[in-house]
Amino acid sequence: MIQIIKRISLVCTLICLAGCNAPQIPPEAKLAEEQELSLWRSGAQVYLPVQYDQYRANFLKARTDLFRENSRFVWFRNYEPVRSELKNVLREGNLLSVQLEQRKQSLHDSIREDIISLQNRIDKLKELTWKINEGRLARRDLVKAEILLLETRKCYEENDLKKAEERMNMIADHLYAAESILFPIFNRYADKNQIMKWKQWVEDTIRESKAHHITSLVVNKSERVLIVYKKGLQYKTYPIGLGLSGSQDKLHAGDRATPEGRYRITKKLPRSKYHKALLINYPNEDDRRQFQIAKEKGLVPNQTEIGGLIEIHGGGKDIMTYGCIAMNNRDIDGLFNIVKVGTPVTIVGAVNSENSLSSHLEGL
Amino acid sequence: MRKLLKGIKTFGIVTHVKGIKNIKKRRKTRMKRSTVLFLIVVMAGLLLIGCGKQPVEDINAAQAAVNAVIAEGAEKYAPEDAKMLNDELTAALDEIKVQDGKTMKNYGKAQEMLAKVKADAEALKTSLPVKKEEAKNNALTAQEAAKTAIEDAKKLLAKAPKGKGSRADIEAMKADVKGLEDSLVEVQAAVDAEDYATANAKAKSIQEKAAEVSSQITQAMEKVGVKTQ
Repeated sequence: MIQIIKRISLVCTLICLAGCNAPQIPPEAKLAEEQELSLWRSGAQVYLPVQYDQYRANFLKARTDLFRENSRFVWFRNYEPVRSELKNVLREGNLLSVQLEQRKQSLHDSIREDIISLQNRIDKLKELTWKINEGRLARRDLVKAEILLLETRKCYEENDLKKAEERMNMIADHLYAAESILFPIFNRYADKNQIMKWKQWVEDTIRESKAHHITSLVVNKSERVLIVYKKGLQYKTYPIGLGLSGSQDKLHAGDRATPEGRYRITKKLPRSKYHKALLINYPNEDDRRQFQIAKEKGLVPNQTEIGGLIEIHGGGKDIMTYGCIAMNNRDIDGLFNIVKVGTPVTIVGAVNSENSLSSHLEGL
Repeated sequence: MRKLLKGIKTFGIVTHVKGIKNIKKRRKTRMKRSTVLFLIVVMAGLLLIGCGKQPVEDINAAQAAVNAVIAEGAEKYAPEDAKMLNDELTAALDEIKVQDGKTMKNYGKAQEMLAKVKADAEALKTSLPVKKEEAKNNALTAQEAAKTAIEDAKKLLAKAPKGKGSRADIEAMKADVKGLEDSLVEVQAAVDAEDYATANAKAKSIQEKAAEVSSQITQAMEKVGVKTQ
């Protein structure tokens, strides 16, 4: 019995001695843990997900190997292979950290440039919205784009680049929606064929004024002016306002567009809701033809008529009409005195390729 | 001779008796040794059996505790704590895997690790509602401020001329306010989805933009002589 106790004591002493001399866990283990957490905090899993997954798989394998080594009997523990493995993980982590910083820096720079570029684009589009009455239709989307850009800027300032990128990607849809409203309107004013047609109408009107010694009116939508020609010579120019969709050609009732074409004054109204008014013969033959074609193509809503009662009236040049041409009261007073029933009125978009609307398309 | 014979007989008996005694003593020692060895073997066996089973219940409990806290939104409201928790669980499961591969299994350490995971998960779950409530309150406050800013802009616009005769700039600003209102709907959607950080950021941006729009409306109205105060 004593012998057995002696043997057990001997074994215990040996174990204790062995324990005292047990190999220490390599310090790289703690460093690797800290490095992994630091990479996660820096967003490696977000900015470099593939590389981070690979690194983390190696990190976890090294940690499992460390556990395996720890679970061995002290006499048989050998941390050298794990240590080498952990060193490789640390090396990989350091490399990942460098790549991460580079990726974040490049993303940072690209977001900063994109924010500036988007802000410029929004500003330019907003500038366009002030040039035409239809601009209001694009403002809703532009405001949404501005709010998203504000959010993007805040995320960028807080260094949350991924979220900034996400927010920024949502802006494109709103800009596209705004552009799809604005560009077709502005493009008409840059279309050479369209301008040639308008220019021809104006030249014919001036020629007629000169040939027949009459007063003729030319309304230029892009410049927002009404020009009075007497005997073919420019006599007076008045500022005007247009319809809510005044930059577009009137097609049917309720479209709030201002018609384009060659008309005549059919009635003079000395008393009107808008001070004084001059009624024109919209729709003319050409308008009726266009309306018919549009209706056959399904471009006009069912039960919709061609419309009418287009006037040149007072009320102020800054107001928006349902398709009429608005003038300051003092100006309509003057005009009222120099026109008569039958006076030609030619309404065009522009007479030059370089007009107030087409020039704003530059850089867009 | 008789004495001699007697002596021999006596010696023989004594020797025989001594022999019997020795045998008995040896048997007794052997028995004791066997008993001790038996006890050691039994104890070692018990120890091995006791620690040799995979702690399935502990694993399930720790896993369930982590899942529960993640479901409560730990990754959203305490991302670093959630990551640490997941890492602790992975480490405990790794330890189990290591033990699984051994002949002399000892899941004691793994059990300790799993118990810590469970305790940490429960502690985080307790602290989470406070963080969540704080984020929610911040989002709701920002949402309310954004609503008020939009209402202010709308009140200003209500004084402007309507329909035919309205000014292009006023109409443009009305559209701006519609854009603000649309974005406010997105704030509510984020609140409903418990994405309070997004809701908060969006609401603050709306408030900022609404203040800008209000200032533009005031300028435009004053230009045409409409009093805004």
